[in-house]
Amino acid sequence: MSILFSGRVSSGASAHKISFGRRFIMFWVNHVRQALFSLGELWRTPSASILTIGVLGVSLTLPATLHLLVKNVQQVSDSFTQAAEISLFIKDGTDDRQINSLLKILQADNDIARVTHISKQQALDEFADVSGFGAALTYLTDNPLPDVLLVLPKNTSAGSARQLLERLSKERIVEFGKLDIDWLTRLDAIVGLLRQAVLVIAILLLGAVLLIIGNTIRLSIMSKKDEIEVMKLVGATDAFIQRPFLYSGVWFGVFGGLLAFLIVEAMLWWLQGAIGSVTSLYDSDFRLMAFSVTEFFSLMLLAVLLGLTGSYLSVRRHISAIEPTGP
Amino acid sequence: MLEFDQVSKSYPGGFVALDRVSFKLEKGEMAFLTGHSGAGKSTLLKLISLIERPSVGRVLINDVDLSRIRRPHIPYVRRDIGIIFQNHRLLMNHTVFDNVALPLVIEGFSGKDMVKRVHAALDKVGLLDKVRCLPQTLSGGEQQRVGIARAVVNKPPLLLADEPTGNLDPDLSKDIMRVFEAFNQVGVSVLVATHDLGLVARMKYRTLTLKQGKMINDGLLQYQEDPL
Repeated sequence: MSILFSGRVSSGASAHKISFGRRFIMFWVNHVRQALFSLGELWRTPSASILTIGVLGVSLTLPATLHLLVKNVQQVSDSFTQAAEISLFIKDGTDDRQINSLLKILQADNDIARVTHISKQQALDEFADVSGFGAALTYLTDNPLPDVLLVLPKNTSAGSARQLLERLSKERIVEFGKLDIDWLTRLDAIVGLLRQAVLVIAILLLGAVLLIIGNTIRLSIMSKKDEIEVMKLVGATDAFIQRPFLYSGVWFGVFGGLLAFLIVEAMLWWLQGAIGSVTSLYDSDFRLMAFSVTEFFSLMLLAVLLGLTGSYLSVRRHISAIEPTGP
Repeated sequence: MLEFDQVSKSYPGGFVALDRVSFKLEKGEMAFLTGHSGAGKSTLLKLISLIERPSVGRVLINDVDLSRIRRPHIPYVRRDIGIIFQNHRLLMNHTVFDNVALPLVIEGFSGKDMVKRVHAALDKVGLLDKVRCLPQTLSGGEQQRVGIARAVVNKPPLLLADEPTGNLDPDLSKDIMRVFEAFNQVGVSVLVATHDLGLVARMKYRTLTLKQGKMINDGLLQYQEDPL
């Protein structure tokens, strides 16, 4: 494109009437070349690059770890939600016929997934088995335990389980119902709080990352001030000059993200043993969840976007500020 | 090709660098711009290359008023002007090839086409054998010629040179001027700012002389015509 001389052919692409397809390929080839050039630039200034990548990686590690923590705690609380079971204690002296008819009614209920009847005798046997009072219990003249109906609601959320409990407690032969779900709501609230905290911390750290990358790019622009002046004098547009710096930002993002991922993985590996011994004590099948593929790519995408944004903010301010002062 | 129409340039603080300068450089014409330091030579070149804007008056290139060029379009104007700097302003950590190829890379050339043009430009200034050298390893005159190759590699219709022989001895200066003459002979308009009056007089080209911002002479330098 020549503004002053309309007939002058000045662009490499238009000089030979290159086809659109080939120009499209050349466009990408040029971008790849510039990206590799920027990578080389990072390689040529290893200490500065490593510091920036390190800061970026560590800054991303904290939110990533917290995210994993929330995810795992949620997994624990989810598995407990399955156990949002309502115990209905039947009034003493109710005969089996009444219990069976209630059992039928409940089985037909749309809100209920499953009903199990534990009779007095079953309960006593189980208690004798588990408690270790086996012999002592034989001295009891009669069975003090009530019949129990275990009701598993279809909707296991705390609110609807509680509604069901209220309804079932009104049944004539039910002494009272019990739903051990308060601690679950508390856990939910704590997980919610944790998630909010993660968000706030993540935003703060990501802000810091933006500033760090912006500053690194600014220093690298300043160190190339002469070069930029010369490029401007021979007709480089701001867009052309800023492209390598933007690519540097992208590379910082890529390496920072990878570093964060590796740190988190190392941490998980380190903790695996300790967590295993704790969960085996609780007889739980809890398994520590690592990053999923989607999460890994989200992390990388976030890191790259941060790098790009940080460098863009810096580049936009500083490259237009450099003007050649004279031939 | 290049026209100054009553151009004045004053800087904040009241210093008048150019005072109502008018001249016209035709297509394919070669001219010298002389004057003492501070006479306004550099300011004049800065106005052409859009580093500065005139306070009053118009600068036209190919009948396009440069005041109409907005900031985002300045790079495209500079691509039409080859500029040679006194201190050559090469990128010292890049090879001669990379330096000369820079304007082509900026314009989107690549591959064989680019290599061909770079080699042609370096051939014209006689440095084809130094293509892989770093500028530090070259002499002052060679560095200046690399600067010339960079300025002409994309075949601009207008060539500006600011004190291109400033740091060179007379023989090398003459060589450099020959290079400019060669470009002029293939139709490029050339404007060379220099204070080397002896050289100017020997070359017998049109000479514009500035004194304290005013154009005091336009034509051949008369008083230097006498044999030394």
